[in-house]
Amino acid sequence: MLDPLIYLFRRVFRNIRQSPVLCSAAVGTVAVALTILAFFSLIVINVQSLAAHWSEEIQIVAYLEREPSPARLKQWRASIEEMPEVAAVLYVDQQEALRRFKSRLGSDSDLLEGFGAEILPASLEISLREQYRTRESAETVVGRLRHNPELAEFNYGQDWLERFEAFLELLRFGAVVLGIFLLFAALFIVANTIKLTLYARRDELEIMALVGATSWFIKIPFLLEGALQGALGALLALIGALALFQLFLRQGLVALLSVSGGDQVVFLVWQQQLMLVCTGILLGLVGSVLSLRKFVRI
Amino acid sequence: MIQLYNVCKTYQKDAASALHNLNLKIAKGDFVYITGPSGAGKSTLLKLLYCAEKPNRGQILVNGKNITRMGSSHVPQLRRHTGIVFQDFKLLESRTLFENVAFPLEVQGKKRFEISNKVYQTLKHVGLHGKLHKYPLQLSGGEQQRVAIARALVVDPLILLADEPTGNLDLEVTLEIFELFKKANARGTTVLLATHDQELIRRFPRRAIALENGQLVYDHTP
Ligand SMILES: Nc1ncnc2c1ncn2[C@@H]1O[C@H](COP(=O)(O)OP(=O)(O)O)[C@@H](O)[C@H]1O
Ligand SMILES: [Mg+2]
Repeated sequence: MLDPLIYLFRRVFRNIRQSPVLCSAAVGTVAVALTILAFFSLIVINVQSLAAHWSEEIQIVAYLEREPSPARLKQWRASIEEMPEVAAVLYVDQQEALRRFKSRLGSDSDLLEGFGAEILPASLEISLREQYRTRESAETVVGRLRHNPELAEFNYGQDWLERFEAFLELLRFGAVVLGIFLLFAALFIVANTIKLTLYARRDELEIMALVGATSWFIKIPFLLEGALQGALGALLALIGALALFQLFLRQGLVALLSVSGGDQVVFLVWQQQLMLVCTGILLGLVGSVLSLRKFVRI
Repeated sequence: MIQLYNVCKTYQKDAASALHNLNLKIAKGDFVYITGPSGAGKSTLLKLLYCAEKPNRGQILVNGKNITRMGSSHVPQLRRHTGIVFQDFKLLESRTLFENVAFPLEVQGKKRFEISNKVYQTLKHVGLHGKLHKYPLQLSGGEQQRVAIARALVVDPLILLADEPTGNLDLEVTLEIFELFKKANARGTTVLLATHDQELIRRFPRRAIALENGQLVYDHTP
């Protein structure tokens, strides 16, 4: 039972030993392609998770023409809080708005010297229940609030969120196109390097067939070799991507997305790492199958 | 053992046929020369018998099996009972004599000790058991051909096909090699030997068939 397995691995390692350059070329190709792929995946994954985080913070701010009387305010709050989407309503009067603005300006707050609270409008900050934190729900709520002429203006981050989502869509599309292109390029190169190793061993393939080897017997070591090369390439790509991530990507993303600290910028989780390795194995296998078709015909 | 009925083989459309309407019967244990000028179709006939080519028309029976109707997955099984020897030996230069002769047995998945025993016996049979760990290119042409014959015989084939096996060798070596075919035949293997060496046929008269332009022109049993 163990004998055929040992024999199989002996054949695989004999192949690798006899053409180490071609073998490394295949491994290197897979490694480079998958490193680039992992690099772009990391960018997409991180930007996307951050965007999801941001849209979770969606809330509606309704600016008021003038500060309402306490009675009217109470009435409005009650009617807004009745809406199924709404979690809470917070009233921010003009004084509070000015205080917040000053603290945002920090050391530049002396710019506001001489201005009174009347320069900033009072507002209602309406936070939404968790399942309603989407742009559509926000729009429904705003639609209802528009009937109140005292509410002058609404802000729920519609503009930049829309633009950001369009950008994200583009990024994702670009990554997919690039990924497909890279995988096909890698497949092409891997198939051709394997074809070269097969060409170098065509005598052996011919003789094997002549002495009665089944086509599977001939093919399996080459398939295994391809899978091994793919797996090795993927592992190298994982190391390469981790190095790139630690050296450049983390700081780059932190700066780009202006998140505090690097904690929110993450590397591939183990399922994604496994997927990368499987992609490598598949790449090697398909590469071998494609080139074997031309060489092993009985 | 081998029967051919109206076998035709054309390699390319519009090309002259390599074999034309060939009918042939070879009994079990026979020794048959296949002669004829270059391009007569000798190699083609042998290729049909080990399924390297398929006939365009006609039926071929080997050991009672119609190999023209056989699926390609059965080809390896046929070849395991067929020893094949070529003019250019077709040995693996990166492997020792032992490994070369062991190759067909490995392919059949035989056990390790079984293989070493059988390989040693077979190499002894062809007189090369002293050079087990040498490489083919360290040997003379005659010795290389003996290794190739050992590789063909190591599986105890029912049929031995040899395509001009002595074409590159001088007379003395040819006679030594021929002895090996005779011995194999004496042990019951059916031997087909393609050659245009009339000297050999004169010295060792056996059934001889001659092809010309793909047609059987002569079939003589002494
Ligand atoms: N692979 C091939 N493709 C095309 N024509 C071939 C091929 N093999 C042989 N032929 C042709 O078939 C005829 C018979 O060839 P072959 O069987 O090799 O003759 P022999 O072995 O008697 O010299 C020749 O005309 C040869 O040119
Ligand atoms: Mg020939």
